[in-house]
Amino acid sequence: MRANPVTGTISYLFLIAVAVVCLLPFYSMIITATHSNTDIAQKLLLIPGDQLSQNYHRLIGSVNIWRGLLNTAFVTVVSTILNVYTATMVGYGFSKFNFRFKETLFLAVLATMMIPGQLGIIGFYKLMDTLHMLDTYWPLILGSLSNAFGVFMIRQFADSSVPTEIIESGRIDGYGELQLFHRLILPLLVPVMATYAIFAFIGKWNDFLTPMIVLFDNNKQTLPVMIASVKSQFTSDFGAQYVGIVISVVPIVVFFSLMSKRIISGVSAGAVKG
Amino acid sequence: MKSKVNKSAYGYLFISPFFIGYAVIGLVPILYTFYLSLTKWDGFTDPVYVGLSNYQRLLHDSFFFQTIGNTLIIWIFSIVPQLILALLLALILNEKFIRGKHFFRAVFYFPNLISAVTLGVLFSLIFDWQTGAVNKMLMNIGLLHDPINWLKDPWWSRAIAAAVTCWQYFGFNLIVFIAGMQSIPAEVFEAAEVDGATKRQMVFKITLPLLRQVFMFTFITSVIGGLQLFDGPLMLGDGPGNTARTMIMYLYETAFKAFDYSYGAATAYGIFIIIMVFTAITARASRLKE
Amino acid sequence: MNAKKWLSIVLTASMIMILLAACGKGNSNNDSSASPAASPSGSASPSASASAAPADLKGHLVIWTYFDQVKQMADKFTEAHPGVKIDVQIFPGDQYETKLMTALQSGRNVPDIIDLDRGYIGKFLESKFLADLSAMGGEDLVKSYLPYVQAYGRSPDGKLKAISDNSSPGGFWYVRESAKKWLGTDDPDKISSMVDSWDKVIELGKKVAKDSGGKVHLIQSASALNDIMSYNTASWVKDGKLNIDPKWKDTYETELKIRANNVDAKLPFMSAGWGSALNDGSVILTSMPSWAVFMVDNKDGKAKGKFGVAKTPQGFFLGGRYEGIYEKSPNKELAYEVMKFIASPEWQKYNLEKTGNMPGNATVFDQNQDTFKSDLFGDQLILKTYADQMKAMPALQANKYDEGILSKWGKVAGDGLEKGASYDQVVAAFKKEVKNTYPELQVE
Repeated sequence: MRANPVTGTISYLFLIAVAVVCLLPFYSMIITATHSNTDIAQKLLLIPGDQLSQNYHRLIGSVNIWRGLLNTAFVTVVSTILNVYTATMVGYGFSKFNFRFKETLFLAVLATMMIPGQLGIIGFYKLMDTLHMLDTYWPLILGSLSNAFGVFMIRQFADSSVPTEIIESGRIDGYGELQLFHRLILPLLVPVMATYAIFAFIGKWNDFLTPMIVLFDNNKQTLPVMIASVKSQFTSDFGAQYVGIVISVVPIVVFFSLMSKRIISGVSAGAVKG
Repeated sequence: MKSKVNKSAYGYLFISPFFIGYAVIGLVPILYTFYLSLTKWDGFTDPVYVGLSNYQRLLHDSFFFQTIGNTLIIWIFSIVPQLILALLLALILNEKFIRGKHFFRAVFYFPNLISAVTLGVLFSLIFDWQTGAVNKMLMNIGLLHDPINWLKDPWWSRAIAAAVTCWQYFGFNLIVFIAGMQSIPAEVFEAAEVDGATKRQMVFKITLPLLRQVFMFTFITSVIGGLQLFDGPLMLGDGPGNTARTMIMYLYETAFKAFDYSYGAATAYGIFIIIMVFTAITARASRLKE
Repeated sequence: MNAKKWLSIVLTASMIMILLAACGKGNSNNDSSASPAASPSGSASPSASASAAPADLKGHLVIWTYFDQVKQMADKFTEAHPGVKIDVQIFPGDQYETKLMTALQSGRNVPDIIDLDRGYIGKFLESKFLADLSAMGGEDLVKSYLPYVQAYGRSPDGKLKAISDNSSPGGFWYVRESAKKWLGTDDPDKISSMVDSWDKVIELGKKVAKDSGGKVHLIQSASALNDIMSYNTASWVKDGKLNIDPKWKDTYETELKIRANNVDAKLPFMSAGWGSALNDGSVILTSMPSWAVFMVDNKDGKAKGKFGVAKTPQGFFLGGRYEGIYEKSPNKELAYEVMKFIASPEWQKYNLEKTGNMPGNATVFDQNQDTFKSDLFGDQLILKTYADQMKAMPALQANKYDEGILSKWGKVAGDGLEKGASYDQVVAAFKKEVKNTYPELQVE
């Protein structure tokens, strides 16, 4: 199919314009990592500077940034897997089964999203203290078991993209429910799982408050907390922080592009070439 | 259908991880917050039970009511352009002839990757009323004679908070929409094309109606998330006469700046109720459209 | 697979989770009891006598802080006392206090030494969590301190609970060339006397505005007066009542006059415009604390000798970090050695030279004011410029309200100034805010 050249051009111009608005700050963020603190505080920086190695050395001089990267990677990968898997399971359960109190239970799931969580951190700390989980990664990982946002998202997609006939035929073929879920349902839900995995991954990767509150040992700390802790007495060392931010953004971008390809299902990926 | 009913008990098993997880991790903090809301607690002495007095105070708190209005204004200013932009871009990116889809999709998502620190520094630089790029640009092209002190103006400060939020989150909605469009079987479009449907017809008769579930999801989560707006606006400050202060910013200031944890807890539950009401309205409204 | 089997899988999974969690708990328990409490060698108790030889000190201390330069202090301390191991743990961000508070409440994982910021120290001083340093001999440590620095570490009953090694004095910073051009001199003493009252500031500012055709401003912002007056006014709370020092009326009205006469450049505190005006001299006098060096563009040493600092009409300071000992720490005596260390002129002099942080101990001012020079200020003896005003600053004590109420005043007065509101309007708006946030206070 050929596109109308006028709509085509307008579409591209629009895409490019929005892309510039999105890229510029991102670009500026990377460029900023190469400048001194004074410049960062005063100018919007668009040309590379020569302070990158000084900033980097100040950064690694005060925190073990690579250790932080490993810590964050561990916590994030484990949580994301757990999060996406359970959210898919629960979302599928709500989408394709009929049981008593289903809608009430679903509303309860939604309601958990509506309570502002800022103050919960105090109770959370006390709970973790009681469970003797402080200064471990458990508090950061276990929360992934129940993510209402993911459940809601998967359910909405499963409603429209998982045909009931597939489940029926699976049952007729003698699959157990769990087997059926793993063999037949999960492949159908890959696009939405990939989309949700992006959100889950980024959310966990950037999580600041929980690790900061529940971890004590600075060597166990996650990347965002380490980066933020590079401060002189009264102000942040932005130069060093930006180097840290750039380091921490790279894995996210990699993960994003990996998942982004999976959002496109096989059928339409083929169609793109045509 | 029969087998579906028979297998219904499995439903409980599938949904159990959420409830087990929540019972272990999520419930206690929420209940503890509720307990705090019934006390007077400054974080140091032991909490003293005071009944509903924090809630009574909340009902008469004009500053809190102001934040409800602010939040709604900022939210509407951000959500409308955000969804339109996301939908438009998703439709364009769903076109076969567009090249570089992966690139654009990634780039549009970039604003969501930028940390709050960066965002704060960036926007204070761009909107600085003396040296900021926005004023300089507007003055260069002659639209402005004197620089505008953006963040000192009630409406500009709200509009900027909304713009930041919109910019930060449209990519998020964009990929939800794209995922939704991808889940529509290609055969549907092919059949329509064979029938000679125009592009416009395909969008309005096929794509949009089939995205109903996705829209429902987007509307509801954007109400829930939008009314809890916090990070972006916090970087920009309260605005003149607190006109850009959102509900959660108020909660945050109450609990963590003034150390009134108990009143902050009551505020959290107040916000919970407000969000519930607006979610219910949204859910009702999106069903009516069906 | 049937439902039973399924259920058993879920149950097994959760059991494993719980078991793993229990393991984690075991570990964390060991860790936590090992770190804040005495380490194995901690039992060799540090000698209580103040004259202990360095080699005698042994043990393990944990310090919590919100900024990483504390590590330098710890390194310097352990250099002198190799038997001591100090574990500095840094928790950045606004939530440091929340973390401290939750840990203090539960009484576990609490460090031996706690860093506290001036912004919220009041609450901690009134609490039961900080050890009484007076009883440990702390009065000796601060007897030659600047009065205001030591007073802020005291609880309401006057006991010393926390000590600071810095004083953060403020002054008018100026680019020498710019001062020469517009004020006719770059001599700090002459400039100090040209602006020793706000009336003089206004008159001089009018002249500068006129001479420069409104392009150059004498000071950066009228709102800066709030910072300068912050610790030159009475406490905001007296006997449970909101107390507005009458000086605030004069201050606000002066701000209005400054604004009306184009004396200030209306730059928000430490904004980008503020920084560039500081560096290019388009604002002649910028009132700021000694630690704000990072705002100066000193790439390749180009700001060497570029600046001078003069006295503000009234002395002021901004910010401050204090350290206290956890009341239930098993290592109090050893922690007290650290207090002794940070209060000592030796450390504070080292810190001054290494980081430029101004000392809290007046002895350091006295001993170095004829010699200490800093790169940016060329030959100016900056300690001397600060010394008199800082020694004369009122010794105010902290309470749990002042800092919070002060920031409300800054916000409301700033809004008022923008609109040109009258003092009464500002006070009315201010009272409303205070009443709302602190309902327990009486507001008249």
